[in-house]
Amino acid sequence: MPRRLLREADTDLAIRTTDLRITLGGTPILCGVDAQFKRRGINALIGPNGAGKTTLIKALLGLVPFHGLIEVHAGRRRGFPWLGYVPQRLEFDRGTPVTVRDLLCADRQRRPLFLGHARSAIRQAREKLQLVGAERLFGAPLGRLSGGELQRVLVALALLGDPEILLLDEPVAGIDIAGEALFCDLLVRLRDEIGLTILLVSHEMSIVVQHTDHVVCINNGTIQCQGNTLVTLTADNIERVFGYHAAIYEHGHARAPAGEHEGHQHPHMPGPPAHDPGSSS
Amino acid sequence: MTDLWRTLDPLVDALLAAARALPFEWAQFDFMCRALVALLMLGPACAMAGVYVVNFRMAFFSDAIAHSAFAGVATGFLLLAAGQQWADPRLTLLVVALIVGIAITLVKRKTDLGTDTVIGVAFSAVIALGIVIITRSPRFTGDFNAFLYGDILLLDRDDLRVSVLLAAVVILFMLWSYNRLLLIAINHDLARSRRTRTRVYDYLFATIVVLLVTAGIRITGILLVTALLVVPAATARLLARSAGQMFWIASAAALVSAVLGLLASYYIETATGAAVVLVGTLLFVASLAVRLIQRR
Repeated sequence: MPRRLLREADTDLAIRTTDLRITLGGTPILCGVDAQFKRRGINALIGPNGAGKTTLIKALLGLVPFHGLIEVHAGRRRGFPWLGYVPQRLEFDRGTPVTVRDLLCADRQRRPLFLGHARSAIRQAREKLQLVGAERLFGAPLGRLSGGELQRVLVALALLGDPEILLLDEPVAGIDIAGEALFCDLLVRLRDEIGLTILLVSHEMSIVVQHTDHVVCINNGTIQCQGNTLVTLTADNIERVFGYHAAIYEHGHARAPAGEHEGHQHPHMPGPPAHDPGSSS
Repeated sequence: MTDLWRTLDPLVDALLAAARALPFEWAQFDFMCRALVALLMLGPACAMAGVYVVNFRMAFFSDAIAHSAFAGVATGFLLLAAGQQWADPRLTLLVVALIVGIAITLVKRKTDLGTDTVIGVAFSAVIALGIVIITRSPRFTGDFNAFLYGDILLLDRDDLRVSVLLAAVVILFMLWSYNRLLLIAINHDLARSRRTRTRVYDYLFATIVVLLVTAGIRITGILLVTALLVVPAATARLLARSAGQMFWIASAAALVSAVLGLLASYYIETATGAAVVLVGTLLFVASLAVRLIQRR
């Protein structure tokens, strides 16, 4: 399973996969995926259910065995970089007596929690909670958090250790519309303020169109199209990936901020440039 | 090996001497002192590991390991009857339990069968194997009751050495792995993304549970040993508000039920293991009541 560093000197790529193939339990999930994700950008990974999005994320994290090559930009540090991960709809035992402080400190300190929280761990935990706007949740029991609150805490956990890449698997599933908007603002802020590369899996086309810079569309285990979000998400491409169209656009359009680059928000408008490498499969 | 074993003796002797020095009538009986030492060592150790037996939902696993004693003990008696003097049933019990524990963990990790299914298969297999061995040897002479119900009077110096050693091992393991186990308990993939080697922890924790269960069988017997792991931790889960508190409350509940259970069994002349478990259950019911009142 080779995962290695992306050595090209001045590349704007954060992650590149080459001929990535994954078979789980005898079923081929990914069949030769060449995906590229931009550095310091918000990348969307989209596709219908069962397309292999979650599996791709897990392969990037090294959680499932794969063939092919995954290269990750080294960033500022030596060694294989840390990838922050926010799982899809975290299912855990909500009755277990664990606080947000316990969860974050458990990741950061060697000293067992029953001998107290280490000061440096508490400092780092507070810092990350502040970054995601959830400082008031520091002492809260994990089992009592709402979907949106839990999502923020998990982002804070993922940010511990200062990763340069954050992988989020359907981060807004199960969050209401207001929470969704706040969460997207958070992602934009993380990209702009600390230069984080973000890769998110999403079904919400409105979010993909409004908030992401780069999109990778996957279906049946292969890449259907990829590139700049507004350039790539043409009606034809959407139809090829999801097998239907139209309704999505009304939805995305209706939620776009009034009057703001309306033409560019509309995926119909700019046709894909002839040289765009990924726009055809 | 035997020399290494004897290095534990000063510690065992010191604990026994401390127990004998207690100003109570029962402290003059050697069997009571041995029982006290074994309970004070094993009770809290079981409760500490029990925190994660509860969080990982491994009560059924623990029960299956306990019942593998049928096969393990029967094998031991069979070998003894065949003239193999080395075959202490306690040893064969440990070997079989370790094999079963590792096998369950392996199959659970390698297949997508449900955990309870894997354990259910192993559970019935070990009991069946035990019955086959016992019914195959008509002159079966072994005393199975000591293993079924536990017998505190039968505790010997080897049992005390095991208790002391195991308490030390469990405390060290908890110091080393408590935080990582917490991450794994929250979510396996999340823990792996935080660079926790979950495979190592899965097998190590299963081994710890096997060791505690096989040692605990001497006190409570096959039928009740899971209670030593689960009941104090369940009590702690009801009362604790943080991961650290859960550890301390479980340990304290185990200590209290060990001492009170032993004394109760002495004064009303009944099985010690069962008395310890009953006191533990009373603590659980009391904390349940506290919890329900708080909720209102």
